[in-house]
Amino acid sequence: MSIDDRTDEVLDETLDAEWMDQRTGWRGVWNGIFLRMIPKVNWSFTLGSATLFVVVNQFITGILLTIYYVPSPQDAYDTVLYITNELPAGWLIRGMHHWGATAMVALAILHMLRVIYYGAYKFPREVTWISGVMLLLITFGFGFTGYLLPWDQKAYWATTVGTKILEVTPVVGESLLRIARGGDQLSAVTLSRFFGIHVWVLPAVLLSILGIHLYLVIRIGISAPAKREE
Amino acid sequence: MKSQDKRDYLKRYKEQKKNGIPFWPNALFKDAIVALIVLIALIVLSYFVGAELDERANPSDDGFSPKPEWYFLFLFQLLKYFPGSLEFVGVLVLPSLAIAALFLLPWLDRSEKRHITKRPYVLVFSVFMIVGVVWLSLQSVLEEPAPTQLATGDPVASLYVENCAGCHSEMISVPEGTDLIAIISQGGHAGMPAWNADLSADEIDALAGFVLSPRGNQVFGSSCADCHDASGLAASDPFTLRDALDDGGDFEAHADLELELPSGQEATALVNFLIAPDGHRLFALNCSSCHGSAVPFDGTAEELREVIRTGGGHQDMPAMGGILDETQVSALASYSVDPATAPSEAAGLFGQYCSICHGDLVPQAADLAAATEVIVTGGAHEDMPVWGEILTEEQLDALAAYAFESIEGSPAEEGRSLYAANCSFCHGDFGEGGVNPANPAITLSPISTAGYLGTRDDTTLRAIINQGQPDFGMSPFGLTYGGPLGEDEVGSIVAFLRSWQADPPVELPPEVEQAPRLGDADEVFTEFCSQCHGVEGEGGIGPSFQANEFHDSRTDEELFTSIDLGHAATAMIAWGQVLTNDQIVDLVAFIRDLRGEPDETPPVVGEVSFSGDVAPVLEALCLACHNDGGAIGGWSASSYESVIGSGDSGPAIDMADLAGSTLIDRLLGTSGALMPPQGMPQSDVDKLIAWIEAGALDN
Repeated sequence: MSIDDRTDEVLDETLDAEWMDQRTGWRGVWNGIFLRMIPKVNWSFTLGSATLFVVVNQFITGILLTIYYVPSPQDAYDTVLYITNELPAGWLIRGMHHWGATAMVALAILHMLRVIYYGAYKFPREVTWISGVMLLLITFGFGFTGYLLPWDQKAYWATTVGTKILEVTPVVGESLLRIARGGDQLSAVTLSRFFGIHVWVLPAVLLSILGIHLYLVIRIGISAPAKREE
Repeated sequence: MKSQDKRDYLKRYKEQKKNGIPFWPNALFKDAIVALIVLIALIVLSYFVGAELDERANPSDDGFSPKPEWYFLFLFQLLKYFPGSLEFVGVLVLPSLAIAALFLLPWLDRSEKRHITKRPYVLVFSVFMIVGVVWLSLQSVLEEPAPTQLATGDPVASLYVENCAGCHSEMISVPEGTDLIAIISQGGHAGMPAWNADLSADEIDALAGFVLSPRGNQVFGSSCADCHDASGLAASDPFTLRDALDDGGDFEAHADLELELPSGQEATALVNFLIAPDGHRLFALNCSSCHGSAVPFDGTAEELREVIRTGGGHQDMPAMGGILDETQVSALASYSVDPATAPSEAAGLFGQYCSICHGDLVPQAADLAAATEVIVTGGAHEDMPVWGEILTEEQLDALAAYAFESIEGSPAEEGRSLYAANCSFCHGDFGEGGVNPANPAITLSPISTAGYLGTRDDTTLRAIINQGQPDFGMSPFGLTYGGPLGEDEVGSIVAFLRSWQADPPVELPPEVEQAPRLGDADEVFTEFCSQCHGVEGEGGIGPSFQANEFHDSRTDEELFTSIDLGHAATAMIAWGQVLTNDQIVDLVAFIRDLRGEPDETPPVVGEVSFSGDVAPVLEALCLACHNDGGAIGGWSASSYESVIGSGDSGPAIDMADLAGSTLIDRLLGTSGALMPPQGMPQSDVDKLIAWIEAGALDN
């Protein structure tokens, strides 16, 4: 409804509102998000918000890490060493990003199992479910690309094997392998494209789909634990 | 779900919301508590456990056992259950199915029931998936500590533990007919590296025996290991081995010992363990001393196996007395006594009459009389052993299969002759490299070292041959890039190069293990660079730093990058891993100082003659690739006529439009590829162009 279409009562209501609300309508948003009623639920329904919390943690610590990290084979390892050993609280930032990754995967999987357990993927939440599966796959993508970035032995060889797996794809396997590595072998190109995917592509995709996911959760409401007869 | 059910659900949900709680503050409070717990957990883990960081990545150390993140472990483990051609099922099909099932879950389960007890399929399937993934992950974690109890005191088992157990756990089951040695040495499937750079041929053979005949390893452990080292026995010959087993206590070396030797199946297992049933190696051990690299045979594979098994008079040598005249016989006889002193036509005779059976192996005769006798009378001059008594069935199978394939001329054999025709001119007969005949300023490094071959996969080698290496003076050889060789031929050459890998004819000095803390550039140069570039920078395996050409064609930045990152195509390693940036900068300055006096090339004056000025340049820089034998691009630099008149894109020199000649275009790079690929001194380019523009006379 555009401003011109509003009835006089609504206009009066708008003018009665406080200064900020007149201009932004924040109260409506606030009411819609925070003051909505939800069914009585148990503790397992906090898993989604816990995952969201870890996502925020990953963004904050990840952004801090990029300030010092340099994605090149010469510098990657040294900068990670520097962050861990010399940068004040660097160990904490890297530790929280590292363990946050594990927590994100674990919580996302538990969250999904809860949804399966309560049948919450059913009408009217099918689209929420699909966006959730996408978020899980993106999370795995984060894990795979992020693992290479410290450029240590386990990162290098796990990624060598991980990308080599693409090669078994019939017909296009070899091309996929070369695309993933940016050449025949792991190199500076691989590192920079994994870095680009990890800090630009995946976060952008994650944010868009996460937005849809949260919008749907708020719009439809979270499911209630099903009763025995349902 | 029917629309009535949907209506019911929405109504019920509305009711539940009405009787529910507000999101703020009630639900959010619970969320906040959980978030706090998660935050504390993350901080505690960071403080007490921290984030692991291994050694710096080292692409040349592929002994590292790769371990993915914990949430990929199940996939990694799943891979182990789908060997060979089934691999893509485990890697691709199953995960794709699982992901598709997740996406489609709302449509796979369409009932209106929501309580878990009313959805038995979903429950059973989810539990199955969870148990499966957890089990696979646990399996992967539990298997990771290699079976160390195997390793104690058993050298072959410890080889296995160190190199294979990380991925393959306790044992691999190999389908019959697998060429295991090829897989171990070159890496067969997804994720498996080539081991030939790290393991010797004996070690690879020992590993193959261990995998193919684990029983044999146990027999060896209980019966032989007290006195024998397995790899030592494996390299010895099968005759002695068979004698020792058959003769028991009568075998000379065992005479003083009270031995209980294995027999029957145990003995077979032992022989299979000691000499793995690998055709190539068995042929090398047993056959090549008489047959060279291949045997001629025109029957079926089964017949060949029978011939090998029964041995004896397998093929009589024809009496050459009726075919050859006396001088030819005596030439051949002296050739088989000592090829070096034989008359020059003997080698040709041997190729014509003998090599069809003898391969490239010249039978050694004790004296001229004996040799003449055998050549003239022919007959079964030397009986083939009865291999059925010496080799196990598995070994016979492998040997017959290999010998049969080699009749066709395996890719490697074909590659040998292609290599000789196309590559050996610059790279040497054994890939040893040396000064580039087309450009003395470039020294080609060896291409037959374990290091060179082990760090380049087949795709890379093919690409190098196909596209050439213009920066190092190598022209493209692939048909698609204008060269003479088709894809199959390039593949054969790669196969031939690989045959060097197991036993490299050229060894480089061992690489520097660790960077000592070196100070000045001259120290660094003496320690590292001089190994290949000479103590005074005069060149060796690597190019000379005294040559003006080296300095003229490179900027300081390019020098820095070369030292920092190394060259993919040469033995130059990336010193950036060892040296600091400051050290490299100093080193560049130091190398610049090694430069000799700048060239004082007098400008081209007066008349340029073909024979005096042009021909020597062409001979030095062009003839290697553009000769009458293999004129790449259809142009030959061998004579005045061919220089002027040949070329696939019309005569190289256009008498009607001298300045527009193809030759000038190529020399200047104005059209088509710049030639020669390794570069030509500017003074020579000027000389050639001056000669063409003066009329391209035969003077």
